[in-house]
Amino acid sequence: MIAVTRRRPELGLLFWVAALGITGSVAVAAAEVAGFRPQQLVIPVTFVVIAFALHVFLAARGVRGDQLLLPIAAALTAIGLVLVQRLASNLLVQQLSWTLIAAGAFAGTILIPRDLTALSRFKWTWALLGVLLLISPLLPVIGREVNGARIWLGVGTVTFEPWEAVKILLVIFFAAYLEEFREVLAQTQRRFGPIPVPPVPYLVPIVAMWAIAMVVMVFERDLGATLLFLGIFLAMLYLATGEAFYTLIGLALLLVGGFVAYHVFAHVAARVDIWLHPFAEDVRFGIGYQLVQGLFALANGGLFGAGLGNGMPDRIPVVWSDFVFDAFTEEVGFAGAIALLSLYLLFVYRGMLIALRAPTPFLQLLAAGLSFIVALQTLVIVGANARLIPLTGITLPFVAYGGSSLVTNWMLVALLIRVSDVTARTRGTP
Amino acid sequence: MTRSIAANIRGLTLAIATTFLVTSVGVGYWTLVAGDELGNDPFNPRLVAAIRDRPRGFIKDSAGNTLAESVQTPDGYKRVYRDKTLAQVTGYASFQFGASGVEAAYAESLIGQDPGDPLSQWRARYLRERAPPGSIVLGIDPKVQKAAVDALGGRRGAIVAIDPRNGAILASASWPQYDASLISDPATEDAAWKQVTADPDKPLINRVTQGLYPPGSTFKIITGAAALESGVDPNAKVRVDDPWQADKSWGSYFVRSSSRAHGDYTMADGYRLSENIYFAKIGLQIGGPKLAEYAQRFGIGSSTHCDITAAKGQLSTAGVLDRPTLVADTAYGQGELLVSPLQMALVAAAVGMGGVMPTPHYATEVRDAELHAIRVIAPGPIGQVIRPETARTLTTMLVGAVSGPGAFAFAAKIPGVNVAGKTGSAENPSGAPHGWFVGFAPAEAPTVAVAILLENSPRGGEDAAPLGGRVMQAALGK
Repeated sequence: MIAVTRRRPELGLLFWVAALGITGSVAVAAAEVAGFRPQQLVIPVTFVVIAFALHVFLAARGVRGDQLLLPIAAALTAIGLVLVQRLASNLLVQQLSWTLIAAGAFAGTILIPRDLTALSRFKWTWALLGVLLLISPLLPVIGREVNGARIWLGVGTVTFEPWEAVKILLVIFFAAYLEEFREVLAQTQRRFGPIPVPPVPYLVPIVAMWAIAMVVMVFERDLGATLLFLGIFLAMLYLATGEAFYTLIGLALLLVGGFVAYHVFAHVAARVDIWLHPFAEDVRFGIGYQLVQGLFALANGGLFGAGLGNGMPDRIPVVWSDFVFDAFTEEVGFAGAIALLSLYLLFVYRGMLIALRAPTPFLQLLAAGLSFIVALQTLVIVGANARLIPLTGITLPFVAYGGSSLVTNWMLVALLIRVSDVTARTRGTP
Repeated sequence: MTRSIAANIRGLTLAIATTFLVTSVGVGYWTLVAGDELGNDPFNPRLVAAIRDRPRGFIKDSAGNTLAESVQTPDGYKRVYRDKTLAQVTGYASFQFGASGVEAAYAESLIGQDPGDPLSQWRARYLRERAPPGSIVLGIDPKVQKAAVDALGGRRGAIVAIDPRNGAILASASWPQYDASLISDPATEDAAWKQVTADPDKPLINRVTQGLYPPGSTFKIITGAAALESGVDPNAKVRVDDPWQADKSWGSYFVRSSSRAHGDYTMADGYRLSENIYFAKIGLQIGGPKLAEYAQRFGIGSSTHCDITAAKGQLSTAGVLDRPTLVADTAYGQGELLVSPLQMALVAAAVGMGGVMPTPHYATEVRDAELHAIRVIAPGPIGQVIRPETARTLTTMLVGAVSGPGAFAFAAKIPGVNVAGKTGSAENPSGAPHGWFVGFAPAEAPTVAVAILLENSPRGGEDAAPLGGRVMQAALGK
């Protein structure tokens, strides 16, 4: 029988999250023309109930893992709900429903894989499933094209981005595969000049996955998925082998691929042109309009922001998915933006700490890979919002509007907590 | 042995943390550093909202008359302009087309964030607090302005009067005009904008500050200054025989005298009779580099430091005087020279003030919501551009150019006052010569300097001189 654990720090932090969610929601409502109405509290309160329910669930299950990840993820989700209320209030109930589903997925992930290490035994299953999901949007009937990218599955009015689930499957597959073959890959005897040449047969599955990423780029026109896929691939390879050359070659491939794509694909060229010259006359009123409006929002942020509900981030097209960071920064300022980035960094730091302490290479690679997903997504979208890199269509984890992303990110949190739980049980520390 | 996974995790985490730091710096740049520029981008919808949702302050003339004010409408505020003759000075503040003139130059002050009030700026920028709008007082004197507009009488051109002692602009007329109220009203802005931008006479341009014209003979003031300071004796006789060329290498090119003159000229004669050949000869005598240096000293080709948008003009297309014919042509004000009327008024002001060129400015004061002064706008002089004794010698000759026997600029005379001035007729590609007059009065201690420009005026400088007299007379209160 599982003993109930006391998760005091987690409980304490969740009260702060509750305060954040409720004051944020009230502040946004108060800034609207209609003013605040008590019935609007239903949504933040429902969220708070979900968050506490998850805590109770973990405690009741006797989970001994990390106690910071749940409050951080809940805080980010709360910020996301406040921003959906601010920017697209018609989507708020939908986003709350997705939060509920995400909580369910979180609980399921805590419950179902009884033995995490067993995940590694089915690595080829995960790989196959991942590939199927990846190419599924190309299939007729269920595949949907949205905003020029064919990356959606749709049944009726419900749409799902299969890529979101693929990223977790990928990390599991890579972790398992690399655990098995990392010695072989790293301790290569042959070198071509300074370049290590790994035994070719072991590279085949990896290269195959890479080729499939290219398929995503060419046929589904999803830059974000491609970038994330390659990023995960390179990071996992580095984590397993410590061979910086793989990373450098990977980055070089990315640059070459990007250069070729710039000249071959109009949608890639457009993204790069927007990034390089957003203020050019023919760009700012056309394809660059979104980025320019995003930069205006950032510029209006100042140190402490315009105040929730007092900026004009609604002028940015599709702000609730692509430019939610700029919208947030406009209203809470540079100080708020740094606070948000700190939350993400703290999340990644905890995830990496879990990875460091994990008892087996598989669990180490798994936890580090999952944490890396959050880091990469955050950096890629915030970097794009701040015009440091071109926009690729990755969304801000937990915060941006979107169901599939929220559900898979919460499953990711559950997996990290599970890894830390295994560590705690193995080592006997709480 | 392979590096441990733990070491790799640490390495990756370090890389991630570093990238977070870089990203934060990027976000800091856009929020804190680029804020000003983007916040004032004419296409920033926030600026538009600031125009529409909150009143801007008044723009007033020196007598306290309101030139621009915000009027409440059901959809927010719109700007109304009370004096059409100052349309290019006040400019417009439109939801759609941004702002120009004083509306643009003092946009921050007009919404209560004057740079002279760093606390309110800081509060607006970082804390988003809004101070009540401020007002701008211009140096425009309504009497002089009216005299300038009447003198122009609906002809295309520009008249500017400036107080040479402090650079305050007393009158600024640019014709044709447009109705800035129509451009600032959402109901009419589209049609009005289409109309003014399609007008071949370009009414949006403030011809005083942005109009660029060859200076013609008015430039001889600069040539004379350069000659005097290069040791040319103004009393030495120079032989003038029309037409003239320095040597055969000029081919079929000759400098022409407007009076077909043959005779011996002093510098005073050169000014009085506006003799091109005299100035071409002394221009070549002192050489291109010297002439270029003095043009630059008088601000031709560089910023006037005016508080609203103003053109720099040019000495020549290449920026240097490297051919004898170009030196000769420039010396009497043609060649490739381009100047604004404001620049020529500043040349006159500098000569009148013993060589000290003032910094021109339209606004004289920024006031807060209760009309208390926040800041007096009194920029110091641009600098001493020529020696006092040079300025005195030039002044004497320029008085002669107005009141000497047979003087070209006699029509600028004011009874009982010594007027110094110079006419000019500027050849140009667009038709009849432009008529110029620049001058100042009283010559011994000037309180007003003017520049008159009439586009394509049949008799050139002869048409412009009397207008200069009338405007200066109004400024002197005579």
